[in-house]
Order: sequence, then structure tokens, then C-alpha cells
Amino acid sequence: MKVDNSKEWHWFTGGILVSLLSVGTYFIFAAIADRNYPFGITAGFGYIAAQFGNLFSGLSENPVIKRFSEKPDAFIEFFILIGLIAGGYIASKISGTLSPENIPAVWEKYHGKSFVKRYVFVLIGSVLLGYGAALAGGCTTGNILQGWAHLSLGSIVAGASFFAAGIITAKILYPKLGGNDASN
Amino acid sequence: MLLINILFGLAVGFIFGFILTKTGVTKYPRVMGMLLLKDFKILKFMLTAVTSSMILFYLLGDFGLLKVVPKNLDWGKLVGGLIFGTGMGILGYCPGTMAARIGEGKKDSIFALFGTAIGILIYALTIKPVKSLFLSGEINGDISILLGINRWFIIIPAAVIFISIIYFVNKKFDDNKKIF
Repeated sequence: MKVDNSKEWHWFTGGILVSLLSVGTYFIFAAIADRNYPFGITAGFGYIAAQFGNLFSGLSENPVIKRFSEKPDAFIEFFILIGLIAGGYIASKISGTLSPENIPAVWEKYHGKSFVKRYVFVLIGSVLLGYGAALAGGCTTGNILQGWAHLSLGSIVAGASFFAAGIITAKILYPKLGGNDASN
Repeated sequence: MLLINILFGLAVGFIFGFILTKTGVTKYPRVMGMLLLKDFKILKFMLTAVTSSMILFYLLGDFGLLKVVPKNLDWGKLVGGLIFGTGMGILGYCPGTMAARIGEGKKDSIFALFGTAIGILIYALTIKPVKSLFLSGEINGDISILLGINRWFIIIPAAVIFISIIYFVNKKFDDNKKIF
């Protein structure tokens, strides 16, 4: 039997696998990092931010920097981040979708080939993403995949806000859709 | 101990990244397609994961094997959520998928990785005045305690709502339709 590796997995398969990963991770996290929460990504970015912050002597006493550089879960999430890069690499290699790309093709089609324009948007977008994730206490992984599963009131509000603002932003960036020649 | 932490982090990240990329939820057109309310594969994927983990977590909790600790509600959840959502709309991915995309060879995600860290650094520098602005009031995040009812009276309706949404968007929208 020949397996077609280029095909995307069904959403149901992916969803169930993520839930098993979440539950499995909970037990290991509880054992080695003494925290009762499955996994998130934001603290991994916090760990990187803390390394930047520690370059300036005045910042090492900042409570946020201190938390991200000292708590073991931020250290673990930093390696989750590294693992994610490796997982994305291997999965795309197997699927044959590994492709160096400067700008998403859809963006290029609607907003032009300008490298500078896309990267200015990426800079603004990613700073907002980091600031917002820190303020909301988690990103899509922590607040939706885990927080909604915990039925956390805080995460339900955070996740609904992600979608509300994301939907408005997408509508502003792509007010009109059309054409059939787009590729992924 | 340190080595265990590193290996554990790498393993979880690897599996998670593999699933995200293999399921196709890291793709820019899929994320934007969801935010434009045209392509719901990511929503179906997320709600499947949420429903399944919700039931597993609370079942194992009832058996005394783990303790579910819901996150509290404060103003940061709403304001931070709106800021995050704006960033996600501009980028076309979130922090987890960003990392997987770096592995797929998408260069703008490498740039975004540093931007995200800068965003958290700005948060660290400004949180003091921001916190005092939002008055640090907090509401307990456990809905069953807030309402004073058995948690399964919330879990089961939540599962029904999530599954109905999955069923509805699955019937109404085709994941493979070209929208851009």
C-alpha cells in the first residue's frame, strides 16, 4: 500500500492528537515543573525576551523578566519552541511542502511583492502579538487549546477577544476577495 | 533534572509542531480564511481538541488523578486578547504556528519571533503603569464555583455547543474551496 504523505491530515485526527498530547503533558509538567497546567508557548517567548532584558543591568530586577528567566516552566517552554521548529521542519519535509518563502503568496497577490511593506507589517503584528499574549496570560495554545478545555472564564474572554480583533483586522486587510489563481 | 526538562520540552514541541504542520493549520491562507469566516478547518481542529481535552481533563479530575485550575478573569484578558488578535490578523499566524512555520522555511516568521520577544519586553517595561490603569480586580475563573452548580452541568452543554458548531460549519463550508 502506498501512503500519500503530501495530503493534509483530517482536522479530527489533528484535534484528537492534540488533546492526547495536552493531557499527557499535564502529568509530566506536574511532576517536573510543579505546575498544574498542560503547556503553552508564550513563556518560551518570554524566556527569549528575558535574555534580551538581562543584557541591560537595570532590567534584571524587573518582575516580569525575573519570572521568565527563573521559573523552570519558561525554560521548558523555550525548548518547546525549539521542538516546534523541528516538528514543522520534519513534517513539511515528509509532506514535500518545505519551501523557503519570504512573503506568503496570498499576501503577495493582494498587497504586492514589496519586501519592506510585509516586514514592517510583520514587525508591528508580532510586537502586538507578544504584548497581547503577555497581557492576556497566554496565546492561542494556552488560552484556547488549554484554557477553553479547562472552561476558564479568563480564557473564554481572551479567546473570544482573539477572534473578534482578528476578524476585524482580516476584513480590513482583505476587504474584497476574488480570483481563482491563488496558490498556497 | 535540567536534561529532563530540555528533552521533555523538545519532545512536546516536536510532536505539537508535527501535528500543526501535518494538519495544515500553519498555512497563511487557512488562518486568514478562518478570520474571514470562509475556511473553518482550523476552528474544527481547535474545537475538536478543546472538546476532547475538556472531557478527558474533567474525567481524570473526578478520579482524583489531576487538578483542573481555571484561569481567572481580569481586564488584561480582554485588552490583551484584543491586542493579540490584531497582531494575529496582521501576521496570519499565532506564536505556536509561527515556530512551526520557521521550520517550514517561512522567513517572515523568523523575523516575527524577535518581534514577539520585543513585544513581551515592552510588556515587562510598561506593566506597572498599565496594571494600575486597569485596577487589578480579578474574578474567579471557575464558572461552576461562580454559578454554584456541579461542573458537569457546564461541561456537557459546552461540549454540545462545540460539537454543534463543528457540525454546522462542516456542513456549510468546504475546506478546499479557493477563497483568495
